[in-house]
Amino acid sequence: MPQIDISVVTFPLQGGGLDRFTDPLVQFLTDIANLDAVLLQLLAFGLLLGGVYALTALGLTMIFGVMDVINFAHGVFLVVGMYTVWLVSESLGISPFVGIPIAAVVLFVLGVVVHVLTVEPILEAPQQNQLIATLGVLLIIQSAIEIVFTPDPQQVQLSLGSLQVGGVFIPLGQLYALIIALGTMLAVRAFLNSTDLGRRIRGTADNRDGARYVGINVKRINYLTFGIGAALAGVAGASIALFQRFDPFTGETYLINAFVIVILGGLGSFPGAFVGGLIVGMIQVFGGYYLPGTTAQVLIFLLFIGTLLVKPEGLFGGADA
Amino acid sequence: MSTIESVRESYRDFDDQTYAPFVKGVALFGFLAALPYIIEIDVAGMELAATLSLKVLILTVIYAYTAQAWNIMSGYTGQFSFGHAAFFGIGAYATQKLLADLALNPWVGMLVAGVIAAGYGLIIGFLTFRFKLKGHYFALATLAFAELLRFVVVNMSELQGANGYFKPFPRDYGAEYGLLAFQFQSDLPYYYLILGFLLVVTLISWLIKNSWIGLYFFAIREDESAAASVGVPAFRYKMLGVAVSAFFTALGGAYWSMYFNTIRPDTVFALFKNVELLLPAVVGGPGTLIGPIVGSFIVTPVSEVARTTFTNINGLDRIIYGAFLVAIVIYSPRGVVSWPSRARALWNRVRSTDSNEEVNN
Repeated sequence: MPQIDISVVTFPLQGGGLDRFTDPLVQFLTDIANLDAVLLQLLAFGLLLGGVYALTALGLTMIFGVMDVINFAHGVFLVVGMYTVWLVSESLGISPFVGIPIAAVVLFVLGVVVHVLTVEPILEAPQQNQLIATLGVLLIIQSAIEIVFTPDPQQVQLSLGSLQVGGVFIPLGQLYALIIALGTMLAVRAFLNSTDLGRRIRGTADNRDGARYVGINVKRINYLTFGIGAALAGVAGASIALFQRFDPFTGETYLINAFVIVILGGLGSFPGAFVGGLIVGMIQVFGGYYLPGTTAQVLIFLLFIGTLLVKPEGLFGGADA
Repeated sequence: MSTIESVRESYRDFDDQTYAPFVKGVALFGFLAALPYIIEIDVAGMELAATLSLKVLILTVIYAYTAQAWNIMSGYTGQFSFGHAAFFGIGAYATQKLLADLALNPWVGMLVAGVIAAGYGLIIGFLTFRFKLKGHYFALATLAFAELLRFVVVNMSELQGANGYFKPFPRDYGAEYGLLAFQFQSDLPYYYLILGFLLVVTLISWLIKNSWIGLYFFAIREDESAAASVGVPAFRYKMLGVAVSAFFTALGGAYWSMYFNTIRPDTVFALFKNVELLLPAVVGGPGTLIGPIVGSFIVTPVSEVARTTFTNINGLDRIIYGAFLVAIVIYSPRGVVSWPSRARALWNRVRSTDSNEEVNN
């Protein structure tokens, strides 16, 4: 038998293993007690990040709410938005801000195409088939981007500088992204609440059969919703591109966090997407600051599981679409 | 026509015999056992082995195995798990951790890993079944439990973080290359080993299916509240399904870690691993015994051959694979096992329109 060196054997969470959880907590509590300026800064960053997360989740929750489909391609829709803005500003030499509405249009068309080709034929099939189909779409689009634009990270050339408000540092790129996200969300809310088409979408989300009985063309609502959901992802991606480097695989983290937000906030819920986005944004910023590595993501998953267990309908479950 | 009818008639007679499943099993596994030699046969100067190598065969059987294990829980009880990478990863990591730190024989480590995975499965099951999570919510919850482990492992230096493990040599744990050490110097023994795994899980699956357990599982899948109302202890049987499925999936992970020399969080716990593990069952036909095996022989070679053929354009293989996924769920939502009956239905329709025309004429 080989010699076993006991000193090499390490057990998790023993001999200082707990420090990694207690130390950040102690640090966090001390900062709160001292009203450290860093807290305000982190709050600002959390708010800025939460805004774009909320917009990402909004598109997903609309598709989820109206069609009961989990769209795994949502993250890669975001990435298409990023590359659209980048391409527009690189090749045409115009402002990346012009690229944002272009991204919305591109993504709307892409969304409708994806819906008609892959989702519509299997809307009534077992849910795992929809899941696999949208995963297939994810692979196709992601790899196509990788082939055309290489897997290297890209960046939109934009030097916006930053603001200094009472000791809090605010990068302007992120601020504009937040404003765009909030504006888009308000516009979508107005559309859903006060236009005839918006009301039809909400009606379909409430009750598909009922909607059919009162003469709503559910098929048309489906592809409109998928298109709008994809367009929202496009705007979200485009505004993220204003302040962040990206590559063809950036969408994965946003996709997973968007799922968390959708469940956290409540399926198809508008305020839920907003509040959920803020919560996840805050956890990521605070966790990223206090906790080592990507431990913050562990917290987000624990929150996700906790929500599913305690209140699967989400914080704002059953609210309006 | 009459010959087809008589062949079908005699097949139906054979199917009614009690020894029929045994004969079918021997035929199937006999064929699989001969496969490494079949692919080396020259056909018109072309060896099948040139594209369909032994390595691809091993991967195919691995995924047939994991899909068969997934099927016990998700195919039979209808609880669609999207997080089996959790169990697979636990299997790989526990085996390697015990091997590297305690020099524990991988066979023992594998069983320990299986028990740990079953425990994790029971935790997931206890939480999700008690709160009656259904459909998308259940799928997303299982995915979250798997992704959770990925980030935990990445952040744990005790588990080598993102670097993962390299498999130690047999001499490091007091064994020689061979069956006892779970390590071989060529691929062929590995193939027969995973084929043995597949045989075991298929046998267990068959036993479950043909016992009262299977009956309860199917009742739960079709209508849980109806099943509960006639006295099926749904919660307990769903827990049983998860535990068995998790245990066998972990053994698959252990095998994986012994065959490929290195494991990392982003290989065994990867987001996409969740799909790869279950895909053969969905493609072949969820809830059937033969589905996962047939499905894997369709899905895995396509993916692997595409990967080795299109090496000059990075990513093209994934486009082909993605398109293949979309096509298969659209055109064959009930799985490949439904093809013969669908073909027969089509044939009957064609024939009946023919005879109608004759009548009209």
